[in-house]
Amino acid sequence: MKRKVLSAVLASAMIAATLAGCGSAADTAGSASEQGQSEAGAASTEAASTEAGGEEAAADGEAITLKWAIWDKDITPYWVALKDAYEETHSNVTIEMTDLGSTDYMTVLATELSGSGSDFDVVTIKDVPGYATLVSKNTLEPLDSYIETAGIDLSQYGGVDEQITVDGSLYELPFRNDFWVLFYNKDIFDNAGVDYPTNDMTFEEYDALARQVADPTFGSQVYGTHYHTWRSAVQLFGVLDGQHSILDGNYDFFKPYYELVLKEEDDQICRNYADLSAEGLHYSAAFSGGDVAMMNMGSWFISTMISSLQSGEYDSSLCGNWGIVKYPHAEGVEPGSTLGTITGLAVTSVSDQKQAAFDFVNWVSGEEGAKVMAETGNFPALMNDEVADIIAGLDGFPTDEASKEALSVSNLYLEVPYAENVSEINDILDTYHKSIMNREMTVDEGIAKMNEEVGKVLGQ
Amino acid sequence: MDEKKASRAARAEQLAAQCSDLMVQIRAEKDIKKKQKLIAKRETLHRKETALRNNRKISREARRDLVAYSFIAPNFIGFAVFTLIPIVFAFLLAFMDWDGSNAITFVGLNNFKKLPGDTFFTAALKNTLIYCVGTVPLTMIASLALAIVLNQKIRARGFFRTVAFFPYVASLVAITAVWSMIFHPSKGPVNYILLNLFKVPQSDLPKWFSGGLVLVTLILFSVWKYMGYYMVIYLAGLQGISAELYEAGSLDGANTWQKFRYITWPQLRSTTFFVVVMLTINCFKVYDIAVMLAGGGDGKLSTSATVLVYYIYQNAFNYWDLGYASAVAMVLFVLVLAITMIQFGYEKKLEA
Repeated sequence: MKRKVLSAVLASAMIAATLAGCGSAADTAGSASEQGQSEAGAASTEAASTEAGGEEAAADGEAITLKWAIWDKDITPYWVALKDAYEETHSNVTIEMTDLGSTDYMTVLATELSGSGSDFDVVTIKDVPGYATLVSKNTLEPLDSYIETAGIDLSQYGGVDEQITVDGSLYELPFRNDFWVLFYNKDIFDNAGVDYPTNDMTFEEYDALARQVADPTFGSQVYGTHYHTWRSAVQLFGVLDGQHSILDGNYDFFKPYYELVLKEEDDQICRNYADLSAEGLHYSAAFSGGDVAMMNMGSWFISTMISSLQSGEYDSSLCGNWGIVKYPHAEGVEPGSTLGTITGLAVTSVSDQKQAAFDFVNWVSGEEGAKVMAETGNFPALMNDEVADIIAGLDGFPTDEASKEALSVSNLYLEVPYAENVSEINDILDTYHKSIMNREMTVDEGIAKMNEEVGKVLGQ
Repeated sequence: MDEKKASRAARAEQLAAQCSDLMVQIRAEKDIKKKQKLIAKRETLHRKETALRNNRKISREARRDLVAYSFIAPNFIGFAVFTLIPIVFAFLLAFMDWDGSNAITFVGLNNFKKLPGDTFFTAALKNTLIYCVGTVPLTMIASLALAIVLNQKIRARGFFRTVAFFPYVASLVAITAVWSMIFHPSKGPVNYILLNLFKVPQSDLPKWFSGGLVLVTLILFSVWKYMGYYMVIYLAGLQGISAELYEAGSLDGANTWQKFRYITWPQLRSTTFFVVVMLTINCFKVYDIAVMLAGGGDGKLSTSATVLVYYIYQNAFNYWDLGYASAVAMVLFVLVLAITMIQFGYEKKLEA
């Protein structure tokens, strides 16, 4: 008898466990957000009453919990800084962060927001292809009416907002804006007896400088310059004249830059792509190794340089004496034209407390958020002289005037501006960039394929 | 209460009458198949009748079945929720247009019509086929050869078996990192040997991870990684062959090759069948190896290395074109199904 009871209990426990497993997997899609579920549920009922009471209610009184999707909480200093600063001034608001990890952030986020299982109010938008996906999935709230009510002057973003406008509507506000600059290692230039790069260089001058400073002697090799494996690092030199964009469908304007870089590879002025790709060398390892004279990279690398040199992770005898200058430019183009990449915040369309969520988005992307960003060594989307001073004043930032001057940008072109099919276009360009750099195709063949394949996508 | 009892009894009588009717039919029926069906039908009725007479709600047999089903249930519910329903759904999705959020629309065969003109799909299909054609026979031959060698009584046999099996258990990330170093286009030992021993000029050194060579590298890697696993299966097969057969062969004066050709190979037929089927299916599913070896820093595959599963993933989770991704998945499914059916058919023919 005892045995029978025991087996019955075991069997039912097994069935119950299976069913429970199915249940939770089905409605939360295996999210890490289960923990906050009940709290968020409570918050949303409150929010419903808040909304009924009008917009003002969000600012005072009732407690509000906002759920915010981010990545890499532990190694990115500004998430917590922004949260703390906001909660300090808005005592009724609690921000709950969910870390989705950086590797597949946009894919994970898109999965989270599919279906009805998600309870995020504010989501961080990491890149434009991901933004395009979320907008086409109708998971983001158009912000136009909120922007109008709050009276935000979009011109403060220097035209970046136009590059992410979707059919006349804006679905995110940028709060972080990184732009590309040229990093250089002063020691290498000193040893070679070559003048430092300047804030006003044409591509010819830049190429000549790289060749001048490079030393191909085996054993003590010095590379004049370094291009990371990203397509942005090579082909996007072409969009800096402001007349071309990666959405054009005709990419003949990439040609001179591919030829420039491939020629440098052949002459061992820079490391070759096939090697970099096989060993997966990170750009930070390349530059901090002390054998690279110049490297084009985004401004996010500034804070990495500062903190890694301070912590001793990078050997300061190899790369401690560094500086930055503006991107080189094509003949006849204004210096200071560069590539940019933005990080934005958006409000989800399923949020029950959209006004409160927007208030937070507005604060982060506004002046106060910008200051917090600058103090952590990052570049806010809202760049002005005050913010530039904060960054240039950071301990560890290069002390020369040219480096500070390099922070002022004249024209900013997004690496990937918005278009409906931008994910596909992005992948096509990546694919053939790879083929060209791996020398599977000649430059002409690769560009012809880009034109053909993107043409198909645009023609749809 | 009595009324109920009476109605049950009446129902039981009715069933008994039906049963005897059926019995007559069964006797008269000549066709054996129809006869069997009728017998089964009569049995079910008879069970119901007994249950009614014995005042039970369900018959003893039905109860026995229920108990059995309840033991299958945990596994089956899991299978249904996580495998069966998604598969059926994916099949339907291939004829739909869906991005995961907005409404699903029916598009008929449009997804399939798009396939032939899609450069990336055709490249993925071509690469997957080449990969399979290269990997399946090579892995089979390598694992069989290894199994035969390591089935002999040689010194340190256990050690060498472990060596052969090791790549299979080692972490993919770790061993792809090692391969990337060994086949590094300018600093790798392989190209170093080619340069110094075989005097291949620097500019002609093979780039193992790009162009036409990347598939060769993928095939070599897969053979090396998986031969240990299939070696174990072959070893089990070899040890199942009776020693008497070899003894008889020796008495008839068969040499080693003849023994292999007329004893080992036919005796291993079912093992080989299993190995080939599993290998084919696994090869068509290739994804991780391609991304790890040929993906470079960002894990993206160019047209020379793209494979079907990668393209399915890209469409589903980068472009959120779930319908199109399902259509590509259907092509993969049909391909694997067709090849497996051909293999089964061939095996059946050999058996007959």
